[in-house]
This record gives sequence, structure tokens and C-alpha cells, in this order.
Amino acid sequence: MPPDLKPILLVEDNPKDIELTLVAFEKSRLANEVVVVRDGVEALDYLSRRGNSEVGARRSLPVVVLLDIKLPKLDGLEVLERIRKDPDTRTLPVVMLTSSREEQDLVRSYNLGVNAFVVKPVGYREFLEAVRDLGVFWAVLNEAPPQQESLPAP
Amino acid sequence: MTVHAEDPFAACDREPIHIPGSIQPHGHLLAFEPRELRLAHASAAAGPVLGRDPAQAFGRRFAELFAAEAAPTFEAALRALPNPGVARQLGPLCGASGEAFQAIAHRSPDGFVVLELETMPEDSQAGGVAPEALYPAIRDAFDRLRRAISIEELTAVAAAEVRRLTGFDRVLAYRFEPNWDGVVVAEDRNDRLPSYLGLRFPASDIPAPARRLYELNPQRLIADMDYAPVPILAARAEAPPLDLTFATLRSVSPVHLEYMRNMGTPASMSISLLREDRLWGLLSCHHAAPRRVPFALRNACDLIGQMLSVRVAAEEATAHAEARSRLKGLEGRLLARMAMSARFPEGLAAVPADLLGLAGATGAAVLTMEGCILVGRAPPEAAVRRIAAWLSERGVEEVFHTIHLAAELPEMAEIADRASGLLAVPVSRLHPSYVMWFRPELVRTVSWGGDPRKPAAPAPDRLHPRRSFEIWKETVRRRAAPWSAAEIEAARDLRSAILRIVLRHAEERAALTDRLERINEELTAFSYSVSHDLRAPFRHIIGFAELLRELEGNKLSEKGRRFLATITEAAENAGALVDALLAFSQMGRARLNRAMVDTEVLVAEVIRSLAQDIGERRVTWRVGALPMVRGDPVMLRQVFQNLLSNAVKYTRGRDEAVIAVGCELGEREFLFSVQDNGTGFDMAYAGKLFGVFQRLHRMEEFEGIGIGLANVRRIVERHGGRVWARGEPDRGATFFFTLPRREEAEAQEGEDGEAGQ
Repeated sequence: MPPDLKPILLVEDNPKDIELTLVAFEKSRLANEVVVVRDGVEALDYLSRRGNSEVGARRSLPVVVLLDIKLPKLDGLEVLERIRKDPDTRTLPVVMLTSSREEQDLVRSYNLGVNAFVVKPVGYREFLEAVRDLGVFWAVLNEAPPQQESLPAP
Repeated sequence: MTVHAEDPFAACDREPIHIPGSIQPHGHLLAFEPRELRLAHASAAAGPVLGRDPAQAFGRRFAELFAAEAAPTFEAALRALPNPGVARQLGPLCGASGEAFQAIAHRSPDGFVVLELETMPEDSQAGGVAPEALYPAIRDAFDRLRRAISIEELTAVAAAEVRRLTGFDRVLAYRFEPNWDGVVVAEDRNDRLPSYLGLRFPASDIPAPARRLYELNPQRLIADMDYAPVPILAARAEAPPLDLTFATLRSVSPVHLEYMRNMGTPASMSISLLREDRLWGLLSCHHAAPRRVPFALRNACDLIGQMLSVRVAAEEATAHAEARSRLKGLEGRLLARMAMSARFPEGLAAVPADLLGLAGATGAAVLTMEGCILVGRAPPEAAVRRIAAWLSERGVEEVFHTIHLAAELPEMAEIADRASGLLAVPVSRLHPSYVMWFRPELVRTVSWGGDPRKPAAPAPDRLHPRRSFEIWKETVRRRAAPWSAAEIEAARDLRSAILRIVLRHAEERAALTDRLERINEELTAFSYSVSHDLRAPFRHIIGFAELLRELEGNKLSEKGRRFLATITEAAENAGALVDALLAFSQMGRARLNRAMVDTEVLVAEVIRSLAQDIGERRVTWRVGALPMVRGDPVMLRQVFQNLLSNAVKYTRGRDEAVIAVGCELGEREFLFSVQDNGTGFDMAYAGKLFGVFQRLHRMEEFEGIGIGLANVRRIVERHGGRVWARGEPDRGATFFFTLPRREEAEAQEGEDGEAGQ
């Protein structure tokens, strides 16, 4: 993987959804790595550990976070809230990728500053298209916000 | 009866009859200052008794004025007199002249010790009546009063006993009405005086000061109306007149003497009938000639009067208690019915006889914010509402009653045959809500003892009482039979019971709202969970079936591939079902975002969106003029989307589909219609059309999951409208729905917060 190609972070607890989503990314032939974390706590850990010298090389922020809403421990909305509160991740693109369109989720997500809200289509073909479009848009078309260097190098 | 300023008898209401400054001549009056019993007042003719001119006697002590042997006993008795009050008999006392008198003494309200010396009556039989001699007669009278059981019988017995004891020609039992008119309720007499039984005398015949004196001093005797008053002299010229409230010899008003002359009764005696210190009647004794009654006998009559009062009070209390207990029974039944109904007025009016019986009424009305229920012979609703407005204006707090409604509200004279009597209780602290009972006019003839409209004949010098006591008949109209105390109390009790019930209902409603809110919250949480968890498995089935097909499709038999396709299709259907159900449940919960919507534009857009479904088919749209309405644009779009796509769908078999969309302008609402010439439906199933997942056609005939019309109904109803349909198999269908016009829509928006939760 080229060093400047940032990963896509998929936060998803359901193994079937993970598998289907990964297949979809595979079919879309995106070069970006897809990092999968299984709950909200792992997601935040991943995002905060990225400058940690113990892990080694500085890990860059993902190009986009695909965030399920129903998650064990911290749910997607709480994760989103913390991402937006943390000065390091404040501008990180986050897309809610959810099973269902619930008005309250939609309202809260946008209030918390989400970049997009996508309901997983039931039909397989539509699902493939949705995942491919998301990947293409965020990883290729979209210009990421400038990397924030708030932490001085150790 | 009110006393007006121009009423000549009003003067009697101010006459100071307790300080006339004179006495009747059948005795002497001496008043001593209390400390040393020195003479301060003496009646002018008392000289012979005092053994000197009163002027010479003033300032002298009692012992100096009376024989030495009697003095200590009498002095002791005089000093022992209690506080101002009724006179007591001290026994015979001889004056300086040697004449024996009946000595009667009391302490006057202005602080003097007053000694009255009544001459012994010439009629020796009645003369020296000793109290013990009267005992058997009093005993007999008490026995008879004890045995009498009705008010009528009690008063008749008392009148007869008093006449037997005193020998008056006529004894009347006279009872005061609430307005102080008096009615003769019993009478005992001989032929020397006419009967007054049943006659009514106006309040002005016994003016207020006289009634006050009757309350304080229960006995009054006028022995001879033609008496010459004897003035009372005072030791000091500037001394105020002696207060004769409790004096037995008190001289009476000349007006009253003239009244007696006109009535033809030279002698009269009155015994007050008191209940709880209030005057309720009189035993009034008359004689066709002058007549003296010894003090002991007058006391005996007073005892009979007291016994009568006690017995009448007891009888009335018993009658009242019996009525109360009967009405309590009715009240219990009414309460039970009210408690069982959701709304108290219906429970109250469920058995008219009970509601009417509670107040002995012929008509009743229950007026609340929810409406007006009339029971029995009640006045029309408009009159009931007018009465309620008047009661509210008047600020009736607990209970209002009248037997002469037309006197309060003249316009009610028209309905006197239904509502002359009104008993009303307010049953809400916030609204003009009342329970009212009505009684009809009771045309009565009242016999007056003389024309009450001419109580006095003004003369140049001073006023004179009326001369004629001829029976004068008056027809009384627009008055009902009076409400009894028991009925008024029953109405009052019912009111507090209703207030309790209404309060309880309000509390129950609050509790119910609480519970509903909780259930609604749970439902929202449930629906949220379902929407996420139920949708995912279908997506997975579809996804993995597809992956399987891609991976292994060419290895499967054709049958196997068909099965795989069926799995995918079934999961897709199930997914669509879940989506539709979720949308439907969200529809009920989402807030209405109201705006002005041009339905003509909306329908045109929906028709355009249906182009794909129509494809090559021939569809003729006939869209009439459509209005601007106020509503949620997204939801209203769904209404038209559902109705128009249904019309397109169910006209599929037609060579030419004709779909008409129109709107009529009603007085308060818009009436929209969507008509097609499609497959129609049997009206027998019209009720099922708008249910969730209700279908009238087989799946293979027409696709769909049967939730569209349920959505239409939910949206329309949330906008305050109604929805219905008409159809005939194979002859097309017409769907109707209404939306409130602007004013109504706005009025309804106030309540929308509740509906939108």
C-alpha cells in the first residue's frame, strides 16, 4: 500500500455485515486498506493510538470513518460525539452507515456534525453500489481536510 | 315583604317602644338604684302605696317606704335579682294604704331594680293563683303536647290549653313566614270573636321593634285597650326614660291600641314562641272585653309556649331527618351511577325519577361544558343557559334557591309553568356548569286578615292602622311550592359529591395520560430496535444468496438457481414489509410540519412521478381546480402518491384508464376525491380498505403490501380530516378525504402537540 494512501475505518459489530461490506469494497477495487473495528471503544482507541510511538510509525487518520449506529459499549452517536470533541479528529469525515433510517438518529447525527448519513439498502446490488459510491467519493473524489498537527512530535 | 321609605308603617319600625315613659294603670311601678335601693322612678299614681307623694319618696330606701316586717325579705329578694331579664314573682306585698299587690320584680337593662305592684284582679277566682295550684293544669297540658304528633295538632293543643287556663275568648297560634308575614295555624275560640284560622297578616302588623321585644320578653299583656297611661316620674328631672323591656306593665304604642280597637279586641295577651332565641311564632290571646290575667297564670302560659316550641322543634327535626335519610338514599343511587359513567351528567340523568326526587322537582337540567341534559318538565335549553349566565353573574357559590324566579329574572315569567321554583348548585369552579331543579307555578289563594296593601290609613295628625280585618283574598301567581331545608341540603351534598367525582375523574385521566406516555415511549424504543435489528437479517440473506449465486451459480441446477432466486425475492419482500411497517409507525409519531401547500402543484408532480408505472398504457387524467391547504407537505404528498398510484394500479386492465382528481369547497372543509374506472371493490369490504395489511385482491393480481391506504387514513386523520371510499366490483372506485379549511386547521394546530407525540 502506498504510504500516502489512508485507510478506511469501518466500525461494525455484525460479522455478516463486515463480510458483505468487505466483499463490496473488494468488488469496487479501491486501493485503500479497510480497517475493521468491532465496537465504539475500539474505534476511539484506534483513532487516539495513531501517533503513539510504541506502535511505531505515525499512523495517519483514516480517509473516512464508516460508523454503524447500533454498537456494543459506545454506540455510533457517542463515538461521533467524541470524535467531534477531540481537536485532533474534529474535522475527520464521518459517515453513518446504518440499517435503518430513524428520524431521531438522523437529527442527532447531523446535530453532532456528521458528514453523511447512509441507510444500507436491502437489495444486494443496491448495497454494492452504495458501498462502492461511498468508497469512491471519500477515498478518491473528496479532498480530505488538512492533517492537524496539534501534538508536537516527541 | 320589604319596607319602602314611603311606607307609612315604616315609622313603626323605628318607634322606641321599650321606653314609652308610662305604664298601664292596673298596677304601680317603682324603680330603685341597685346599690342602696333608693327610689329613683315611680309611676305617678304610686302615692297611696308609698304613703307620700312620689316627689317626697324619691331618694328614700326601700325599707323606709314599706312596712318593717316585709322589708328585709323583699330587700333580700330584690338584691338577689339576676342580671337583666324576665320578671319574677315575689309574692303579695302591702302598700302604705293597706292594699295588697302582687309584687313582681326584675333588673332593667339600664341597671335599676324594678318593682311592679299589680293590683289583684277583681275576679277573685283568677286572683290569688298560687303556682302550685296551676301545676295539675300545666301537667295536663304537657301530657297533651307530648302525645300530639304533628305541627298542626301541637299548635291546636297549645291554643286550647292556654284558652282553658286563661279564659280568653280566642287564642291563636300564629306562625311567622320567612318574610315575617304571620299565618294563623291553629285557633281555639268561642263565639264572641270571629275565626282567624288560616288567615295571613302582613309583616307590618308586628313591626321589627315589637318582634325584638317579643324575643327578649316572652309575655305581654294589654288588659284594657282604653286604659289611661300612667306616666313614670323620675327623681332627677334630667334622668333618661326608664327601660321597660322586661316590665310587665309596659304601656304600648297608641297605634297598637288603635289596631286593637279596629280589631274589636279590648284585651290581648301574647306568649312568644322561640326557637334558638329566635321568634318563630306567637300564642296570641284576645278577649271581647277588658281582661286581667294574674302573673302566675301568664307564667303558666309561657311554660306551655316553651313546651310547644320544644315539641315543634323536635317534630320538625324528625321530619327533616326522615326526609334527609330518604334523599340520602336517592343521592347514593345517583352517585353510584355517576361513578360508573365516564361523564357524570349522563350518570346523573340516567334515571330521571331519582334526579327529580332528590329535590322533589318536576324538571331538572344538567348544564356542563359538554352540553345540556334536560330531564322531566324542564325549561328549554336556551332558558337554562340564560339562568346559568345569570347565576354566574350573581356569583352563586354553593346553592341558590327561589320559589319566584320571575321576580329575579322577569323574562322567566313566560316559563312560570315550568320554572317558577329554581334550586341550583354550581358544579364547576371554572365553568358556568350547574345542576338545576325546577318546580312549576302553583296558583294559590291566600286569605289575608284585611287587605295587606292598606296597612295604614294616613290621617292629618298621625298614622292610623287599617280598620278592616275582613277576609281579603289574593291570588298568588308565578310562585312554586317552597323548597324544604332537606331538599336544599340534598342539593348541596350532591354538589360536593359531583365535585369529588369530577376531581377523581381528572386524576384518573392524568394517571392514564402518564401511562400512555410511558407506553408510547416503550413503543418508540421497541420500534427503534426493530427498525435496526429486523432489517439487517433480510439484507444478509439477500447478500449471501447473491454471493452464493455468483460463486456457485453455474454449478447449481436450474431448479437450484430458481430456489436461490426465490430466497432472494422472499427476503426482499420481507424487507419491504418491515420498511413499510416502520414508515407507518413513524408516520404516527412524527411531528406535522405544517405549511401552505398548493395541492394542484402537488398532484401534477405526483402524476409525473407515476409516468414510469404507466409506461405504454393509456391513462387520461382529469384534474379539477385544487386549493391551497395547510398541512405537512411531505405527508400530503404521500396521500396523493398512494391514492393516484392505486388508481393507476387498479385500472391496469382497462384499455383507457380515466382518473379524475377533484375538490369541493365545503363550509368548513375541503372535500377531495380521486375517482377511477378500474377494478373497483365490493362495498361489503369498504371497512377493511383502510386497515393495516388489508388487501382486497390476490397478491398475483395486484402487487403491494396493503399499507398505503392505512397511511392515507393516518395522515388525513392527523390533519383533522376524514377518509372513506365508494366502489363497485369492475365499475371503479372513488376515494374521498377531507382537510379542514384554514381557520379549523389553525384551531386544530393548538392540539397538535398531543397528537404528534
